[in-house]
Order: sequence, then C-alpha cells, then structure tokens
Amino acid sequence: MNKTVLHLDLDTFYVSVERLIDSKLQDRPLLVGGISDRGVVAACSYETRSYGIHSGMPMKMAKELCPEATVIKGNAGTYSKYSDMVTEIIKEKVPVFEKSSIDEFYADLSGMDKFFGCYSYASELRKTVIEETGLPISFGLSINKVVSKVATNEAKPNNQMKIDYGHEKPFLAPLSIKKIPMIGDKTYQTLRNLGLKKVKTIQDMPVDMMRGVLGVNGVTIWKRANGIDNTPVIPFSERKSISTERTFDKDTIDVVRLKSILVAMTENLAYQLRRGNKLTACIAVKIRYSDFNTYTRQLKIPYTSADHILIPKILDLFRTLYNKRLLVRLIGIRFSHLVGGNYQINLFEDTEEALNLYNALDTIRNRYGDRSVIRASAMGAKTIGRMHNPFNGQPPVVLAHRKQ
Amino acid sequence: MKFIVSSSYLLKQLQILGGVINNSNTLPILDNFLFELSPGKLNVSASDLETTMSAVLDVDTDSDGSIAVPARLLLDTLKTFPEQPLTFVVEDNNTIEISSNHGKYALAYADGAEFPKAVELSDPSSTSMIGDVLATAIGKTIFATGNDDLRPVMSGVFFQFSQEGLTFVSTDAHKLVKYQRNDLEASQVAEFIMPKKPLNLLKGILAGSETEVTIEYNESNAKFSFENTELICRLIDGKYPNYEAVIPKENPNKLSIDRTQFLNSVRRVSIFSNKTTHQIRLKIAGAELNISAEDIDYSNKAEERLSCDYQGDDMQIGFNSRFLTEMLNNLNSDEVSLEMSLPNRAGILMPVDGLDEGEQITMLVMPVMLNN
Repeated sequence: MNKTVLHLDLDTFYVSVERLIDSKLQDRPLLVGGISDRGVVAACSYETRSYGIHSGMPMKMAKELCPEATVIKGNAGTYSKYSDMVTEIIKEKVPVFEKSSIDEFYADLSGMDKFFGCYSYASELRKTVIEETGLPISFGLSINKVVSKVATNEAKPNNQMKIDYGHEKPFLAPLSIKKIPMIGDKTYQTLRNLGLKKVKTIQDMPVDMMRGVLGVNGVTIWKRANGIDNTPVIPFSERKSISTERTFDKDTIDVVRLKSILVAMTENLAYQLRRGNKLTACIAVKIRYSDFNTYTRQLKIPYTSADHILIPKILDLFRTLYNKRLLVRLIGIRFSHLVGGNYQINLFEDTEEALNLYNALDTIRNRYGDRSVIRASAMGAKTIGRMHNPFNGQPPVVLAHRKQ
Repeated sequence: MKFIVSSSYLLKQLQILGGVINNSNTLPILDNFLFELSPGKLNVSASDLETTMSAVLDVDTDSDGSIAVPARLLLDTLKTFPEQPLTFVVEDNNTIEISSNHGKYALAYADGAEFPKAVELSDPSSTSMIGDVLATAIGKTIFATGNDDLRPVMSGVFFQFSQEGLTFVSTDAHKLVKYQRNDLEASQVAEFIMPKKPLNLLKGILAGSETEVTIEYNESNAKFSFENTELICRLIDGKYPNYEAVIPKENPNKLSIDRTQFLNSVRRVSIFSNKTTHQIRLKIAGAELNISAEDIDYSNKAEERLSCDYQGDDMQIGFNSRFLTEMLNNLNSDEVSLEMSLPNRAGILMPVDGLDEGEQITMLVMPVMLNN
C-alpha cells in the first residue's frame, strides 16, 4: 500500500505571529531576530526577501539592505504558545503526526483516502488552522516526507500542493538541486562544481557516482532526488540531550564572568533534569573563540542530577578547555546520555540539610519559575534560563534557520 | 633437581594458587609458579606483587633448588592427566622435563631468583578464627564494596578487631554492610582495609572449612595461614570513612516482612523499572507495602501489594532495586526488618532470625530522591 504523508509548514511563522499581535505590521517589511550587532535574522517577511534578505543572515547586513524594515526582537514564549495552538488542532484531526520543529509538522494520512480523500481532508485541515489561529500555513501532500516537504516549499506562501502517486520524479526533476533537503551551501557548491544544477541530472546519474563524491550522504541525496524516502512519521521525540549556549555581544576574556555564566547554565539545566526526573551521565563544555575555532570537551560521569556534583565538574572541564588566552565568542554546556531516574543519595557526601535545601529550591522554582532562586555566583548571567520543560516530547525551540 | 608427585594432588594445589595470577602481567615472571624444592617438600608460590600465596606440598625428592615454571602451560597439561605419579626433572638446557605414563613434556623455566620475594611481616599482631567463619564474614560484606578508582578505600573490606569482637564493614557510598562477631576476639585493637582480590580467593578456599585460620597483620600487610597454605597481601592504604556516623540512630518507621516474598516482589517489579537506574518506589501505609516501578521510555509499569507488619507514619521512599535484591539475596533469614526515618535518609535492613550466636548484620541502603 502506498503511504500518504502530509507536510505542514507555517509561513514566516515568527513574522505571522508578530503581525497577528500588532496588525500595524501588516504588509510592511519586517525582520525578527537578534537586535544586537551579533544578532541574526530568525525570520523575515516576504516583502524583505526582494532585498536579498534571508533567515540566518546577520541582522546588521539585513538592516543595511533594507533600512526601512521594522526589526523585532521576538519572544520564544509567545511563538511556542501559538505553535501549541496549531499543534492542538492538528492533533485532533490526524491519526499520527510528528512535530519536527516549532512551525513544521508531518502527518501520516495513509489509509484515509478511502473515507475522506486525503487531499480534501488536508485542505480542510489547513482551512481550519487558518480560521482558528489566523496564521498562514502551507502544505504538501505526497507519498513520503521528503517529497511533501519539497512540495510545501514550492507551494509557499500560504498555499497547498499535491504530488500524485508516480509523479514524484517528474515533479522534482526541473527543480534546482538546492531544493532537496540536506543540500546546504557546502554540498551545493560541491555539486555545482561537478556541473549539477537541476535535480534531473542527479536522477540520471548512477548512484555509485554520488557515493564516490559524497559518501553515504551522496546515496541519501540520490534517493531523495529520486523521490525515495522511507523515514516514518515519528509521533514522539525523546530528548537525547539538553544543552544551552550563549554568544556574547562582545567577545570577552573575563573568566569570572564566563564561570558565572557556566554556573548559571549548569544550575538551570540540572533543574530541568530534576524536573523531568532525568539523570545525566555525560557532560560537555563548548567554547568558540573569536577566531571562530570551536572546541568541546566532554566527560563521562556516574548518573547524577545534583548541582554540587555537576557544577565543579563543568568548571573543571572549562579550566582544561580554556587554554588559549583568546577572546571568547561563545560558551555553552550540554548534558547527554539521559535516563529517567532520580538522584541516588550518597552516604558520606550528602547531608540531610543540603538535600532539604535542594528540595526547597526546586519547590520554589516549580512555583515561581526557574529563575526565581539562583546561586549568587550565577547572578551575573541575567538571561540564562528557558521557560519550557524540555522533556514534554516536543522538539526543542530552535530558531527557524538553525540546524538541529 | 628432581621430584615425583601425584598429578591430581599437584593440580588441586596449583589451581588454588593460580587464582592469584593475573591474566596480563607487566612483569613476565609473574606468569610463573615459583617451585622451591627442599628434601621431601615442594613450596609453590604465585604472586601478582600485591598478593602472594604459597602452599607446601609433600613430594618424593632429596634434592633442592628453585625455579619458575610457566603457570598456564603447566595447568593446561595437568588438567588432562588422569591420576598418576609424575616425575619432574630439571635439565641443564633450562628446561624442565615431565614424564608421565603417556610420554614426556619439556617446559622452559626461568631462574627462581628472578621471582619477586614475598614480604616479611615485621612486628605483627594476630588473631585466629575458624575458616568458615571468615569465609562467611567475607561473603556477607564483599558484595557491597565499591569499584571507584578514585576512592580506593571503598574497594576493600574494613576489618576492625578488638577485645570485644570482630567487625567487618564494606560500602560503596550507596549501600553499607556491617557484619559483627561478638563471640570472637583479637589480641589487640586493630583496623585495616583488605583488598577484594585476596578476600575472594580466601572465600573460595575456606567456605565450609573447619580449619583454624591465623591472621597476622601490621600497618601495611596481612598474612592468612591455614593448613599448608599461606596468603600474604598488601593492605589498602588510607582512612576508612567514618561509617558509624552515617548510620541513623532514630528510626521510628519499622517494617517487618517475609524475606523471600519481599525479594521476589522486588525482583519482579524491577523488571519493569528503568534499565539503567533500576529505580523502584515503596509506599507503606497501614499494614500494606506497595512496590511499584515505571519505565517511561517504554511505557512499562508494575505494581505489587504485600501485607506486612508496619509501625510508623505512612511514607514513600525510592530505592535502586539492585541494591535491595543484592542485600536481600545475601541474607538467609526468613524474615527481615527495614527501619526508616525519612525518605531522604538511609534505610536499615536487618535479619530478624537465622543468625548464629554472637553474629550481627546491619545493612544500610541509601534511597533515591523522589519528586513528589
């Protein structure tokens, strides 16, 4: 039996949400993203695209290209709220769906043809979303995830497209190879140097030649170009790791400040672990110097979620990692190897007072938010912290252009 | 140099000694048994530098000398022989020739002088006990030792000797076992930490044995001698944590339950717990013990109810089920008691019956923090 996979994508999601909140922004060039010098464009309205602006571009450059654009910092919390509204509607209407990012959904409609007609059902779903939330949304419908995604991108803005069974190859053939998910700037350059421009050329190539050029990835790209993709729609994504990082407005060499930020990050992530009843067994610290060289160092530890174990270990890692005496552009930490469980109390190291203190701190945070009570040494880092429970089965809130 | 010995008698002794030899040695000579011959006697030794074990065998000989014989080769050969006398003759070309009823075998040997000398215990104190008692004490405690290289003291068993009795303690910071014998005594107050490997060897040899074991010890070494065998080992250097301080004194919540029933329930429920953390939850209210576990990742869930004898406040406490099963398994009483105070303080597990005269076992298990 053929599968039917629907791909839904909210058009210029952040921009649409901002316009919904403030109707004055309608039909005006709008940029959402970091507003500092280091900021990048997270989303841009269609009006700005003719100026050559795209998401991921440095905000400074975007402002030069289109000085009359309105720039908004954006608020991840608001976007999640709207995203959740859309999720609720989709959840109600389809049998299986996967939320692959804040503004993208896959739904498996296989077998529904008989009763509803997949295309008309999807069109209705789209209409419902637009009516109930006021957000423009596009979809693509085909036999698998890749073709549907490409179709959605072709249909945009605020439109829909169906690729009939058997027409996947002819549909993809005239498109630029850039349209295939997985071909980024680097791969595009490599393939262009080989004289490839249209997907058709890849379709005509033998698969071995692609493997020769790009290895295993080449094979995947070749399959995608031919409209072959067997990845299933996964309804629940289990978090494998949690992480946080920070790019500075100005590169810094202030070690006290760096440490204070690391403490704040560790404290916050450790709280997230405890709240989600998780333990970590692998911790990592990441540093990007001003010359863009990025280093990470990780450490396996016994399963834990306790601040007093994690903080010294993170600081130790940082001490061994930070050895260049260069300005630092970015630091971050990551906890991985997560398992469900709670902290095993140690007979000799944990005192009852400390344990009660942790419990009390967590109770305050559960009630008043994760920044309500923090270590004094971490108070310098003002904006570390996330509002959302990372273990709710939803994908992490990532800026639209960032790779996950 | 020549001697005649029964093959099975030699094999039995060598197999015991062979336990000392490591699989991979930095010092090649340690892959050998040291054979020291004197008229009528053969003294065989094996060592890993930390532990040296030797046994005196009666053999038919009138020569003396000392050689190091490859252990693996010799053991593999001896295993294949049926009981028969074997003649060992040391040849001039650095080989030792073994003659059996079946034929002849030659092994290259090394000079016995290359073999590291066992340490001599200077100024030792001593005590003695029945072999089986020592084996029991080791068996009750060794499972609770730790494996953390960063805390070497916890990788051994803590021996505390005094005129009032003998105490054996082991802990890995999550669980603790204290095994006391009030019916035995030592000549002097002494404390030392024995490494795991020689204890495991002793446990294997002495289980069920009625022979008297003499323990001699000083600051750095201990020597166990029994029958024809001697084991000398280096002690773990360091200060053992103050375990008495972490045993809660006030435990108002007392649970008393059938051991096998409790063990079986914990085992069954723990199959449904997380495969890494093995966490289970005990809920006690009135005369009912509720044991539950959940593995959210796979949607596995289990819950059992047991009737028990309980005095105290209703409470909920989380444990690593591995610790509980290990401890319950190690006891052999019909009934056990679990004494608790708070969900973040240690639970004390003790056998209610089945103890020998003068024997006392206290097991501590640390809970996991539960979010409520």
